[in-house]
Amino acid sequence: MEARSPADWMYRFLLFPLGQMLAFIAGSAFILTLLAYGIALLFPEPRPNIVLADQIGRQLPGMVISGITTGFVYAMIALGYTMVYGVLKFINFAHSELFMVGSVVGFEVFLVFSAQAMLLTWHPVLLVAIAVLSAGLVSGLLAVTMERVAYRPLRGAPRLVPLISAIGVSFFMVDFVRALMAITRNDFNLTYPLNGVDWARAPIPLLIGTTTVNLRPTQIIIIVGAVLMLLFLNYFVNGTKLGRGIRAVSQDMTTAGLMGINVNRIIALTFFVGGAFGGAAGALFGMNVGTVTPFVGFFPGLKAFIAAVLGGIGSVTGALLGGLTLGMIESFLNGVLVYFPVFGQRYTDIFAFAVLILILIFRPSGILGEKVDEKV
Amino acid sequence: MTAIPSSLSPLAALRRLYRQPLIAGGVLLAYVALALLLLLNLDRRDVWFPQYTMLVFPLIVFAPFLVLESPLPTLAKGLSLALLLGVAVPLIGIYDSTYLELMIQISIFSALALGLNIVVGFAGLLDLGYIAFFAVGAYIWAVFTSVADTIFRTGFEFAPLTIGGNTLIAGFNVAPMAVAGTGLITVGSITLPLHAFYLFIFFGVLLAAVAGILLGLPVLRLRGDYLAIVTLGFGEIIRVLFNNLGEPGNITNGAQGLHGVMQPGSAFLIDPVNGIAGVMGVTLRTPAPVASQMLFYFLAIGIVGLIILLAQRLDNSPIGRAWTAIREDEVAAIAMGVPLVRMKLLAFATGAACAGAVGVLYAAKQTFVSPESFSLLQSINILAMVIVGGMGGIKGALLGASIVTLLNLHVLTNFALQINALRNIDYVIPAGSLFLTLALVTALVLYIIWRSTRSIYDAGQQLRSRLTGSVITLVLAGLLATRIVDFHIADWPSQLTPDKYQRFVFGILLVLMMLFRPEGLLPSARRKLELHREETVHEAEDIPDLDQRKTDDDFAAGR
Amino acid sequence: MTSLLDVNGLTKTFGGLVAVNNVTIQIQARSISAIIGPNGAGKTTLFNLLTGIYQPDKGSVVFAGKGLVGLRPDQVNAAGMTRTFQSIRLFHNMTVLENVMVGMHARLRVSLLQTLFRPPAFGRQEAHVRQRASELLRFVGLGGRGDEISRNLPYGDQRRIELARALAGDPKLILLDEPTAGMNPNESETAMNLFRRVRDDLGVTVVLIEHDMKVVMGISEHISVLDYGEKIAEGTPAEIRSNQRVIEAYLGRRAASEHPPLPAS
Repeated sequence: MEARSPADWMYRFLLFPLGQMLAFIAGSAFILTLLAYGIALLFPEPRPNIVLADQIGRQLPGMVISGITTGFVYAMIALGYTMVYGVLKFINFAHSELFMVGSVVGFEVFLVFSAQAMLLTWHPVLLVAIAVLSAGLVSGLLAVTMERVAYRPLRGAPRLVPLISAIGVSFFMVDFVRALMAITRNDFNLTYPLNGVDWARAPIPLLIGTTTVNLRPTQIIIIVGAVLMLLFLNYFVNGTKLGRGIRAVSQDMTTAGLMGINVNRIIALTFFVGGAFGGAAGALFGMNVGTVTPFVGFFPGLKAFIAAVLGGIGSVTGALLGGLTLGMIESFLNGVLVYFPVFGQRYTDIFAFAVLILILIFRPSGILGEKVDEKV
Repeated sequence: MTAIPSSLSPLAALRRLYRQPLIAGGVLLAYVALALLLLLNLDRRDVWFPQYTMLVFPLIVFAPFLVLESPLPTLAKGLSLALLLGVAVPLIGIYDSTYLELMIQISIFSALALGLNIVVGFAGLLDLGYIAFFAVGAYIWAVFTSVADTIFRTGFEFAPLTIGGNTLIAGFNVAPMAVAGTGLITVGSITLPLHAFYLFIFFGVLLAAVAGILLGLPVLRLRGDYLAIVTLGFGEIIRVLFNNLGEPGNITNGAQGLHGVMQPGSAFLIDPVNGIAGVMGVTLRTPAPVASQMLFYFLAIGIVGLIILLAQRLDNSPIGRAWTAIREDEVAAIAMGVPLVRMKLLAFATGAACAGAVGVLYAAKQTFVSPESFSLLQSINILAMVIVGGMGGIKGALLGASIVTLLNLHVLTNFALQINALRNIDYVIPAGSLFLTLALVTALVLYIIWRSTRSIYDAGQQLRSRLTGSVITLVLAGLLATRIVDFHIADWPSQLTPDKYQRFVFGILLVLMMLFRPEGLLPSARRKLELHREETVHEAEDIPDLDQRKTDDDFAAGR
Repeated sequence: MTSLLDVNGLTKTFGGLVAVNNVTIQIQARSISAIIGPNGAGKTTLFNLLTGIYQPDKGSVVFAGKGLVGLRPDQVNAAGMTRTFQSIRLFHNMTVLENVMVGMHARLRVSLLQTLFRPPAFGRQEAHVRQRASELLRFVGLGGRGDEISRNLPYGDQRRIELARALAGDPKLILLDEPTAGMNPNESETAMNLFRRVRDDLGVTVVLIEHDMKVVMGISEHISVLDYGEKIAEGTPAEIRSNQRVIEAYLGRRAASEHPPLPAS
């Protein structure tokens, strides 16, 4: 590769990815706003004395921001699915448990902070960074172990074999963490000790037009943290030698091996990076929701998988796009369905699956995926 | 295998001896007699009862499989099976109905495993939402006969549907359809006696099959691993639906579930049960539940028998061959005239139908149905049965169902009971036994590490992996060993109840099966080939192209 | 004489690549034809288009008076056109006989009720399937080996199974994709005789893709030449052998000018 000027570097690794994220957010928010108003046209008053269009107008900024927050969490988990799928053509069913482990590690770290009275004395940025990085590290190492123990010996076996193994790993992980929690504290509901901590819980009012939206500080932490990590990932995959190795292996494992790339090491690295992102997302997510359990991975994991498929599985940009879009869709559905007596929010989860099924039927390669016919 | 010639090995000599039907028959008879003797002599008041029953009852459950695998002539096998399942088990059931309950559960799960085996084992479609069809069957009986206030009992009114001020569908009222708890079922203007239960088994079959087709249609074009996740999603959708259909119109009574579900009449069995109990010298305080259990037991093994017949006939037919072909190579199969989607739908629907049938049975037996009984955990349980036994085989599915159900409902439960029993007498496990357990577990883990690295062809890497794995294990074990002291069972964490840790057990079980025996314990011959095929696949995929230049030369030379 | 297979203006693009471009071919009933061309000329794609595995962007395929475009592969098979694959795609873990029996699927009455209740008709059909499959195995020279697991057979025999499996569908026309690839001259000779017998004894029209010019020239009555997805020539072996464009396609323009067309040997 030729030497690049600083301006070029800035564009490739800073401006372009940032612009991409912004475009994805703005695009999905715009389309969904149109759809929401479309529904409001069809059903102006889903309940007596509730004018849907007014409600949407009032809630719009809030819906967009919560959509971005969920979207980034999904995107960070989806990256793990998509990167592993890219190199191994294998759905790591246990990836959702890496997210769960991350959220549990985040809890443990904050518990230490709280016990050492560091929560109020240390700088919040430092605290968050330590928690997120340790969650990422633990989940990343766990992912590598998982691959080494349960997947690598099965490479080359029929497709269903590693998938079933992954289901087993996922189940085992949930109960393993449960057992650890049962032994250490005899309780499965892990509440982050953040209540009453101002930098994490005091709402931040944000004036948009004439309406005030109360932001949670943790939402901002998620957005900033995710953006920073995604920028790093983009640099890592597209700008470093190791990243080139990952791309080469996902193009063609055999040829990459012949070209002198240590395929096993690259696969382990992919699992590490994917797992670390999942774990970091878990810690960020835990800070935001406050309480996590060993079962917390299931739904975010499943939805992140849907996001990966929506964006085009195997594509890193696709995971970002899919995550943000799905987060946004969910946030809007929550905001609008609440006014419909028959549906209500109870069915939000079902709609995510409906999205998955629709994509798989009409565009199985996802939004950004390339259509590949099976070679005959 | 070992290099020792088989004629010299004592094990092989014994095996040869066992091949003679008479000797095998004697051994089996002794085995069953011993198992019965042990079982009937257990004392419920003994502190160690849970542990004993945990070990002894499985001996009875495995007896039919030993008979099946024995060299007995077919007629003798059939007779022994009939005696075991038709006489011995009911007698044990009268002696202690918990065992009969376990046998009913094993039969129900056998039916489910056989059904899923059609989908996963025969057609190669990984369905992670299979339990949904079981739920469909269970709910079809429960919504009509539960005493809960569903719309079928109270009648309901449809609010008019309006869009933008225009009425699309006018509102209407529906009269109550079912009158539950009266011994009669009223559907519309038809009143049916309780024997309609048997009719509902067929409804369950039909409805589940239809659900299978409806769910299958959009997803069966997908590749295997996508299919797994989508079916998982479908399973969850059905569960969420049942959870939420309690309002606005109460169809399923939501998360509380439907209670007071009716059972088919079993009064005619009370006298025979009492009579047999009298002969055995057992007094039954409440014979009615035992009679009803007896009915469900025979119904369940009857359904299992029918499904076995169904599976055998399907496997041995153009349909079965088409499924195998699809499993092996979809493109080749469709090019050879096998209609992919139709055949896959057929597998999905027949598999679902099996679940629907036992679903109806299950609802009546439990008299209670709630969405929580139909979770992903249950789907994975059934998958574990198919995998442990061996995908694609009928005996395998039955063995898998027996093992997993025993683990789930017998071993883990009794483990928990044992802990509680010991807690009450403040039992102390000596450090010595804990140390021994740790040593055994460590040895097992080391063995697994050495076995699982066998597939690595690079000798250097294999050695490195083995060494790293072993060192990590030994260091961890060493660290744990220093912490071992006499353990008071009273200190056992109350949340660490083994019967709530099925995921732990089945997770490990699935991984170990995939690593060491993907074809299952009783593999079908073909599956065994498929799952150990590394050697031939490459050969088939990389057919060397003819040397292009050579043909060009031939061409230029005008040959 | 009307043609059995009438391909008209068939076009297929993958992304930007035109794999098959406006190809028109007629195949006469009871003929043996070959489609040749350098690697990547679009021959296998053409087969995949004919058998419904890919759908064409443009063009028509009329087979025995019936339009095939839009049909699924199994429907094409049922219409009487079957195929073999370039890389052998047997059902490797099924027995040889079962492989051939699967090939008859489209010709069978497959009914769930019959399968479950086993009326006499079911038994008769199964017996017939078994017998017909054995006959076909004998025809391709694998008589008596029906119970072996197909992946255990040597490479050349696997090609024979594929042929028997394709013939089991009782086709009017059979497409053979490089049926002699990887065979030595002796084996190719035997295979050629077998293909002739497929036409002469069974009355099945044969279309083959082949690189081995000895086979192509020795067996075909009609040859079509593809290059970069386009048909650049067609005719009898003698015509093709002397066709300047064909030689250019195979050897490049420079080389071709140094090799003037050779007279037929």
